[in-house]
Amino acid sequence: MGKDQLQGALDLLILKMLARGPLHGYGLAQRIQQVSDEALRVEEGSLYPALHRMEQLDWIGAEWKATENGRRAKYYKLTPAGRKQLAREEKAWSRVTGAVAKVLRYA
Amino acid sequence: MPLLKRLRSLFRRKELDAALDEELKFHVEQKMLDYIAAGMSPEAARTAAMRSFGGVEKTREECRDMRGTNLLENFWRDLHYGIRTLFKDRRFALMAIFALALGIGASTVVFSVVYDGLLNPFPYKDAAGITVFQIHNSTDTGTRGRGAFAFSEFLDYRDQNHVFSDVVGTAYTNVLYSTAGGMERLRGSYLTTNTFPFLGVQPLLGRWLTDDDGNPGAPPVFVMSHQLWKEKFGGDPKLLGTPLVLNGASRTLVGIMPPRFKYFGSAVYFPLSMARDSPNAVNEYNRPRWLVAEERLKPGVTYQAVAADIDVIARGLAKSYPDQYPKRFTIHVDSLASDVVGDSKAMLYILLAAVGMLLLIACSNVANLLLARATVREKEIALRASLGASRGRLIRQLLVESFALAIAGGALGCIFAYAGIQLTAAIIPSMLPGEAVVELNRVVLLFAVGVTLLTTLLCGLAPALHSVRGDLSSRLAGTAKGANSSFRHGKLRAALVIVEVALSIVLLASAGLMMRTLYALTHLDLGFNPANVLVMSVEFPDGTYTTVEKKKAFFEQSLSRIQALPGVISAAETISLPPYNSARSDITVPGRTHSEEWDTMFDVCSEDYFKTIGLHLLRGRLLSASDVDSGRFVAVVSQTFARLYLAGQDPLGQKFKFNALDQIAQTPHDAYFEVIGVVADIHNDGLQKAPFPQAYVPYTITAYENRALLIRTAVDPLLLVKSVREQVWAVDRNVALTDAETLTHYLQEFTYSQPEFGLESLGAFAGIGLLLAAIGVFSVMAYTVSLETHEIGIRMALGAQRADILKMVLRKGLALVTGGILIGLATSLAVTRMLSSEIWGVKSTDPLTFSAVVIIVVAVGAAACFLPARRATRVDPLIALRHE
Repeated sequence: MGKDQLQGALDLLILKMLARGPLHGYGLAQRIQQVSDEALRVEEGSLYPALHRMEQLDWIGAEWKATENGRRAKYYKLTPAGRKQLAREEKAWSRVTGAVAKVLRYA
Repeated sequence: MPLLKRLRSLFRRKELDAALDEELKFHVEQKMLDYIAAGMSPEAARTAAMRSFGGVEKTREECRDMRGTNLLENFWRDLHYGIRTLFKDRRFALMAIFALALGIGASTVVFSVVYDGLLNPFPYKDAAGITVFQIHNSTDTGTRGRGAFAFSEFLDYRDQNHVFSDVVGTAYTNVLYSTAGGMERLRGSYLTTNTFPFLGVQPLLGRWLTDDDGNPGAPPVFVMSHQLWKEKFGGDPKLLGTPLVLNGASRTLVGIMPPRFKYFGSAVYFPLSMARDSPNAVNEYNRPRWLVAEERLKPGVTYQAVAADIDVIARGLAKSYPDQYPKRFTIHVDSLASDVVGDSKAMLYILLAAVGMLLLIACSNVANLLLARATVREKEIALRASLGASRGRLIRQLLVESFALAIAGGALGCIFAYAGIQLTAAIIPSMLPGEAVVELNRVVLLFAVGVTLLTTLLCGLAPALHSVRGDLSSRLAGTAKGANSSFRHGKLRAALVIVEVALSIVLLASAGLMMRTLYALTHLDLGFNPANVLVMSVEFPDGTYTTVEKKKAFFEQSLSRIQALPGVISAAETISLPPYNSARSDITVPGRTHSEEWDTMFDVCSEDYFKTIGLHLLRGRLLSASDVDSGRFVAVVSQTFARLYLAGQDPLGQKFKFNALDQIAQTPHDAYFEVIGVVADIHNDGLQKAPFPQAYVPYTITAYENRALLIRTAVDPLLLVKSVREQVWAVDRNVALTDAETLTHYLQEFTYSQPEFGLESLGAFAGIGLLLAAIGVFSVMAYTVSLETHEIGIRMALGAQRADILKMVLRKGLALVTGGILIGLATSLAVTRMLSSEIWGVKSTDPLTFSAVVIIVVAVGAAACFLPARRATRVDPLIALRHE
């Protein structure tokens, strides 16, 4: 898989996580790690540029809110455009993984 | 990316940066809290959190990039930085800017000539859609042919074609206008009445000519050019609506055109009805009026479609007008501009190619200087890379630097171009359309900007890519000098210098060939002596001097009066202007059969013609006063005429007939001329062609057509114009004398001016190219010497003499020059063949030219190597070795 697809995978993960509700960057990284049973670790160096890019693309919106312990943090949430993008990326992703799975099975 | 958002980001930069910092700080703090919760000490937790985050600065920079505004911000920062570093290295910057300015300036000048002269010279409506078609005789060389048509033939094309939205026709006419000073002749044109809407240029004052003006019984009107209005009538607007007596008849002035309207270079325009029975269908000799046709294409029609459509019509018309169509012909279609510029197009394209080479030399030069700088700046670049600048970022920064150079070069180049265009407009020969205005206009400026951007890429990209190649960080450790990458720079720089030398060889060779051409043309034996000969056309009013007796009386009196003027050596009547003869006919020689046509030029002249132009008699005798007086059918022929048509027998006493005379009502039919003398050949078909057969007969054989005067003088011929006029007007005030000029002036204008212009332009380009190449050689050698100071020091410590060092450095430098020369020669041999249309009297592979070019380049190259070489010999071994 090329670099673009890896980036696409990160976008997909972020969009998917945010579909369940707003999260800040740190929470997002933690959540991905937890959900994947520690298998996927998102580098901060990739996460934040990706978030800022998606914000510029209007897939996600951002809002400064207080955390549970009263600290101000930047929370990201899905926009309608982001929801559409998520649907598109999920479809593309399952096509790719389906194809790879087929190859693995029959090759 | 939404543009609005991006723009907003640009103006909220500080705010966004603060938010980004806070976001990242939050992330690290959260991580730290997690580590503390897991049992780490606060100190250890902070360190671990920072470490796990990785490059904070890099992440921050990448997040900023995502805003899409960083590009612009960085650009300004880079530009600022670039200008500052360039300012520190002023000598380099000035040299680069100067080289670029020369390249950009020169190409802008040439582009302005091509654009304003060939691509967009006309002020007319949609001028690019105006075409010209010609009947091209397949046996002739080139593509030109007949583009003028007899009145009814013109109408046939207009009515029968399916490809033109409109066809207009123009017929030249001489217009005699009586002034207080005497009779003057104006250039006039009959324009078919659809012409003004066709051209779409509104008159400055009054109205243009309409269909109604061509109707029978319509009051006679005309339109005047701006130039005539200003020069002869002082730009008086009250002139509009007043009648003027033109060609002996009163016509009312109804319109004055704006300055750039110079259609067919005429001063006055008359309406020409397109009715087939129009009285204007014939000229003053009652012969069909000939119209030069111009057409406008219907939308979407190609030149091929035009050629095909016209071909069908022409085949049909060839049956109705068999004399006017060659046996085999093709239809040639061209745009108006291309047709007017004609043979000079080749020269324009050659200049365009040459200036392109010059621009390449300038770019190589600047690339070379940038590479030298890049080597010196290796450490700086490595430092920036290790501080987190990405390769793309570094390349961008270096490109911005060359952009700053190019902008400065472009600005200076525009100033050069402005001056250059003034100069060019002054020396450019009359090869461009009269309407063309060569100037630094918007399109030309746009071109200059485009060239500037192109040069940024051309000269900046290679050095920029080069300096970020390989392992950047390792360079910090080593010394810049002698590092592996510098060696690569060295090779690239050598290659660039070789290219520069090679290109300047091509330019020098082209300029050299032009010089040889001009020399050959100006040193050609014309067969006659053009110095101190005054030429004037004689224009008779319509309907006068229609008999031989009247013309003879006029010329006898005029010539004897002129000959009596002080300063006049001799004077003669003629119909031609050597070396361009106009009358041409095929001949019949009794008793000789031949399959091809036997053509000759012929002149009808008075007995002093030979003396006046300095023609040598070889056999027999010249025309005598009595031959002329009685209009005897005798002829003097040229050497070539005798050799081709009268071979095998004594030419004297043989007889022949001009077949063309049989077709003209006013000339003697079936007239056989006896050869009485043979004279030397003269160049009568232009200088570049071999002499054509030529015959001279007494001017008193016919009253047909207009005549000219040739006057040999002992003083500056132009001083005599006024007194000659007075003498002629003393005979008849109604005769106009026009086009008064010297024969040498005509030779200059028609024959020498284009190669001269080519030589001046190519010579200038070659000179600039050579200068830039010399700078290239110099800078590479100076750099090499500075790199090798250490080695030279060792050699000298080991006992090498100064002469050895000098030789070593010169050898290296001359190796570069030799490489360039070899490649340049090979290229030139291929390229100069394209010059063949412009060079004459010299082969495109002329050994003399090429050797001279090589000598010049070797000499200049050696001079450019000498300074660095001398510096090398001054190296003090002690200092050089301590240098490490």
